Amino acid sequence: MNEICNTAAIFRQGNTNCGGCGMSITLQMLRRAVGANPVHLVIPACCGAVAGGTFPQSTFGVPTIMSTFASAPAVASGLASVAALNGDPTRIIVLAGDGGTFDIGFATLSAAAERNEDILFICYDNEIYGNTGGQRSSATPQGAVTSNTLEGKLEQKKDILAVMAAHRIPYAASVSLAHADDTQKKFAHAVAQKGFRFLHILSPCPTGWKSEPALGLELVRLAVRSGLWPVYEIFDGKRYAVTIEPDFSDEALDLYLSLQRRFQKSGMTAADLRPAIERNWQSLRALSGRIIPGKREG
Amino acid sequence: MDHAEISGLDLPLEVRVHGRGGQGGVTCAKLIAGLFGQLGFHVQTFGDYGSERAGAPVQAYARVDRAPIRNANKVYRPGHLLVLDEALLGPHILDGASPGALLLLNTPQPLAHFGGRFAPYRFAVLDATAIAREHGIGSASVVIINTTILGAYARILGLPLTVLEKAYAHLGLSSDLPAAEAAFATVAMEDPRQTAPIAPAHRAPPPPVKPTLEHHADIPVTLKTGNWSNQLPAYVEPPAPCNHACPAGNDVVGFVQALNKGNSEDAAALLFETQPLPSVCGRVCPAPCMNACNRAAFDGAVNIRSLERLVGDSSTYAIPREDILHPQHIAVVGGGPAGLSAAYQLARAGHAVTIYEAGAELGGVLASGIPAFRLPPDVLQRDLSRILALGIKTRLSTPIGKADLATLAKDHDGVVIAVGFGVSKTLGIAGESAGNVEQGLAFLARVKERPETLSGTVVVVGGGNTAIDCARTALRCGAGTVKLVYRRAREDMPAIAEEIAEAEREGVALLPYRQPIAIHERSAQADVVLAEMEAGPADASGRRSPVATARTATLTANRILLALGQANDHDLLPTGWSVRAGRAYHGEEALAVYFAGDCAGGEGTVTHAIGSGRKAAQAILTRTHALALAKDEALPVAPGQIRFDAFAVAPPHADRLIHPAAFAGNFAETNLGLETAAEASRCFSCGHCTLCDTCLLSCPEGVIAQRGGRYRVDPDYCKGCGMCVAECPRAGIEMQEKRL
Amino acid sequence: MSTQLLSANHAAALSATLAARANRKGKGFVSGVYPITPSTECMEYLCNQKIEKGRVVRVESEHSAMGVCIGGSAAGARSFTATSSNGLAYMVENCIAAANLRLPIVMSVANRTLGPPWNIWADQGDALLLRDAGLIQFFCASNQEVFDTVLSAFRLAEEARVMMPVMVSMEGFILSHNVAPVEVPPQALVDDFLPLTDIPHRLESVPHTLGQMEQPHQTECHRFQHHTAMLGAPGVYDEIRRDFEILFGRALAGAIVPYRAEDADTLIVSMGTMGITAEAVVDALREAGARVGSLRVRLFRPLPVDAIAAVFAGKKRIAVLDRNIGLGLGGVLWSDIRALADPGAVVQNYLTGLGGGDVRPEHIAKIVSDITARQASGAPMLMEAV
Repeated sequence: MNEICNTAAIFRQGNTNCGGCGMSITLQMLRRAVGANPVHLVIPACCGAVAGGTFPQSTFGVPTIMSTFASAPAVASGLASVAALNGDPTRIIVLAGDGGTFDIGFATLSAAAERNEDILFICYDNEIYGNTGGQRSSATPQGAVTSNTLEGKLEQKKDILAVMAAHRIPYAASVSLAHADDTQKKFAHAVAQKGFRFLHILSPCPTGWKSEPALGLELVRLAVRSGLWPVYEIFDGKRYAVTIEPDFSDEALDLYLSLQRRFQKSGMTAADLRPAIERNWQSLRALSGRIIPGKREG
Repeated sequence: MDHAEISGLDLPLEVRVHGRGGQGGVTCAKLIAGLFGQLGFHVQTFGDYGSERAGAPVQAYARVDRAPIRNANKVYRPGHLLVLDEALLGPHILDGASPGALLLLNTPQPLAHFGGRFAPYRFAVLDATAIAREHGIGSASVVIINTTILGAYARILGLPLTVLEKAYAHLGLSSDLPAAEAAFATVAMEDPRQTAPIAPAHRAPPPPVKPTLEHHADIPVTLKTGNWSNQLPAYVEPPAPCNHACPAGNDVVGFVQALNKGNSEDAAALLFETQPLPSVCGRVCPAPCMNACNRAAFDGAVNIRSLERLVGDSSTYAIPREDILHPQHIAVVGGGPAGLSAAYQLARAGHAVTIYEAGAELGGVLASGIPAFRLPPDVLQRDLSRILALGIKTRLSTPIGKADLATLAKDHDGVVIAVGFGVSKTLGIAGESAGNVEQGLAFLARVKERPETLSGTVVVVGGGNTAIDCARTALRCGAGTVKLVYRRAREDMPAIAEEIAEAEREGVALLPYRQPIAIHERSAQADVVLAEMEAGPADASGRRSPVATARTATLTANRILLALGQANDHDLLPTGWSVRAGRAYHGEEALAVYFAGDCAGGEGTVTHAIGSGRKAAQAILTRTHALALAKDEALPVAPGQIRFDAFAVAPPHADRLIHPAAFAGNFAETNLGLETAAEASRCFSCGHCTLCDTCLLSCPEGVIAQRGGRYRVDPDYCKGCGMCVAECPRAGIEMQEKRL
Repeated sequence: MSTQLLSANHAAALSATLAARANRKGKGFVSGVYPITPSTECMEYLCNQKIEKGRVVRVESEHSAMGVCIGGSAAGARSFTATSSNGLAYMVENCIAAANLRLPIVMSVANRTLGPPWNIWADQGDALLLRDAGLIQFFCASNQEVFDTVLSAFRLAEEARVMMPVMVSMEGFILSHNVAPVEVPPQALVDDFLPLTDIPHRLESVPHTLGQMEQPHQTECHRFQHHTAMLGAPGVYDEIRRDFEILFGRALAGAIVPYRAEDADTLIVSMGTMGITAEAVVDALREAGARVGSLRVRLFRPLPVDAIAAVFAGKKRIAVLDRNIGLGLGGVLWSDIRALADPGAVVQNYLTGLGGGDVRPEHIAKIVSDITARQASGAPMLMEAV
């Protein structure tokens, strides 16, 4: 790889994100995929908005607008419309957290997807309302303690990719930041593709997950390995392709849980999560049309 | 307790706590408010919330008064300042503090370290981080010290520790009280030494605020986040286990990585720094590097030996010889691997070297003791030619006696003695002198000169490489059955594992846990009485010595070959000389005479001999003790430090082995080694950066850049998250404490 | 210049269409729209127009409608939307964002009662939710006024000295669905009237962030800059009126419309269509010898306080009619302007047509007789629809 020129960063040094933030990693990886493409960023109220730094300094290295919490896909639709009307190659990218994607921004997201707006929507899913100090969202996994579910969340995480697939958008994918090649390939495809693209990123949050900042990518790796975080692509809402095969390791899953204090109180174990993971993978196998044993020996 | 009991409390009191986001500053102020509240004061506390995240400098406040508090603003005139991290001591930390104000600082430094810097203040220091770390408060990367420092605060206020109990209990922090106690005991403080008014710090007025409509320029960020953490990643180069294990001192990881990058000449240059016999070692070295290889725990050790052979066999690298003004004249006694290595290093360095060899040819045991099917003579010759091409003189068939040694020492600037082992060990049993009992090394040497014909059963005694060589040579000499008798288990055999496997494949029968206890000669044959052995009590080294049982069996053999190792029992030194730490002394006078190889220590492998020879050469040039050139003491990278999941499973490239249909008279090399250097790509490069960019790609801040074949972390912006350290596949980075 | 029979909703939509086309050589036009009674016809009409370099995005909510406008405007395009009542309430968050981001979006509001309980009829309470949010607010009284004001609103909003959203209100059904002749200028004249949209802080290629975090000091400066720009808007509007008259050959209604007020001792003050009725009542009462006048406030934010105070000077009785109520205080117009009257003047608030009832001439005549009988101001009183 060539020398990295930091001045060309989408997300510049001197930002105020926590050390080890998955959103920061996402933005660094995004830069490599974007390359020389002109880009405008739309960011709803979330950690990303705070990451934008204080007026008038530019923490984001591309023109950026902060939208209200629920509105990012709508604002992006406006920007994308102007770009299209003017034959402007600028790619419009939304960077939203799970709150702005799964919850408050859900209707707006669904509508923009249904209209197949020319937008790349990136959800950095840290499974928590990080910006307000760590409350549950519909992306918070079962058993995770948040500041408003002190005994651990009772409900399961929403399957946002299934929802996005139901919109039959040209491209939807989950991403593993721990697999730089996978991330790079998907980012590059998603930037280049026309129409509505959705990327779902498991974004480690040391503050919310109560984990070591240095272990963020390792946690993602464990989630991928164990099958907890399936990494796959959906083309046009119908063609499914698994991009990273897990080994469905219970050891990895238990390690994933034990390295995060948010699961301590509920005592969630691999055995608790495994049935749901297996169901999820059965349906994923059926959809991807590839019959691979759900669990490999050894 | 009454208010009046608190020493020097000037009310209303305003407290300002300087901490880091997410590290307990706000809780610290809360605890202070709780403490005073419990004493009956009116209190107020709040954090100065901004957009900064974990690690960023933040402030929290507390107010204390006898009357209800009617001020909801931030604290601008602090009477007490608590600074939770010394790195926060910026130019504005003391803003608004009047002379006599209390400054309580968490620092490992003593009061004296700060000189008169805080002379106008009541100044107190303690190492709260060390205390809190000891009590396990916080995490590995972030130690939380708020509850600790308050123990010191109580002491300064003249309050007993018990006042903290309720406040801590209220916030569920009672388990931190022991740390507070330690702080209470260790805080050091001094009274103000200066009472002159303090000039207010100059603060630039805020710049005019540009209207929203005029906001369209790119204004770079000025926030330096490098001070959010006290740690910074450093690119270190811990020893790779292969390098650490190599007795010859080869830069194994270096030459393998050079091969991996396709730079075979670089690989050769690196290897020839320490290794004069790569073609030899690439065949016969027991390869401690491969035993130590971290990849063994993953999918099989890197086939380093054969990579070395590839370099040795194919390199055209011209070994440079230094041209120096005043070359020394050195005599090397013994032309085996240790002597060759010493001569090689000295000659490369530009010195004039003469090798005195008792035998008719160079190479020592390499020439005589290793059969041609493992080490073809032309291979040895290639390595020898490369060495001699450096201008080394040789005196063959020139044994050096005691008197000669004294003369040599007088006539040369230095002498290296590398005469190898003395005599071969024997069994010490009845019948050992029988006519068909022979030392294995003698057998090997003779066969190498001129193949001979054997028949019937050959029994080899021993478990080392010489034993295996004897067994396989016996097969090639026509023996019908070859049985190898070893007194311990198969896995205890010191021979190279691959060689043992080859011997078995060729038909050698292993008889472990057997030891000859008597030999009865019967004309052309002999009966060997073998006792069954079993593991006895552990010896000093923890190894369980085998002991003979009463169960015996008798084998009839046509030939019995002993390969029991050799003893170091030379009597070389002239009268009045002695040896200390590998160097000869005449009385108390240290001589420029050094010992190398088996006669100096006796590990008995080529690679040890080469390392020993090189050290002797260095010692001779520096006139130090050979042992002073100790190995790097840093611990080698362990398998647990390697991120296995960064690598794809790829079994080792195996050597190309020839399995001859008929052995008799066939001394052709059976192992053809590797065809290409592709095996080098399996090297983890433990501890040695390969510029793989993993750190750069995983850095959330984008503050790692590659310049001139190195990575550089920008300390002004690195938040110290440690992601690069955790992600580095090969343990090439570590977090280090910043020096303030 | 052609005359078309148009509802006020369609007049607003046609006006926006002409403005949209006028920016075809610029960055174009982007609008986000969502239906709600009674403004639906406006968005329907707009959706059915062919606009070169324009896109009307049919979104899923008013919140997103304004979101699309924000995005379009931030990218430098001309932008417009229309809504009513709860739709506006749902849109409020983004209206505030648009204002704070200083984006020149024009919106047409067909005023309707906020619910539930549901009531689809006129009440200005919806628009007045945004009284203090930094949007310029007009209240219109006729179809022609709606057409002219929307067209001028683009010029005003996009003027560099102003650069903020403009809301043009019409009472739901009473005006929005009232069909009347409207003089419509040809596209060429509109092109002359409206310069190409030029939003100085739009997103282009230079990295900068709109809407990022601010420190208290920065926000106070930005708020005051916004406030100051608003205070300058009436002056800019007067310049636009002059250009309008020159280009189109007819007058553009002013920020306030006094009617036979100069020599009146009693003044009827109102916003929207009630003002037209009041003018008719004034004529009738003048016939009977009463010295009555009317003042219609068209520009409510920024409130032209000096102009209003000048009209109020010397008036002994001022009846303020509000088709809205600031619950807990009284009519919103009244509460804003009562201090502008002479000391000792009777300023009485009449809550008229709340929830969409008609305010007929006899109501206004009754108001005049009520205030004539008063010696002092009383609490706001309800004038029930009958």
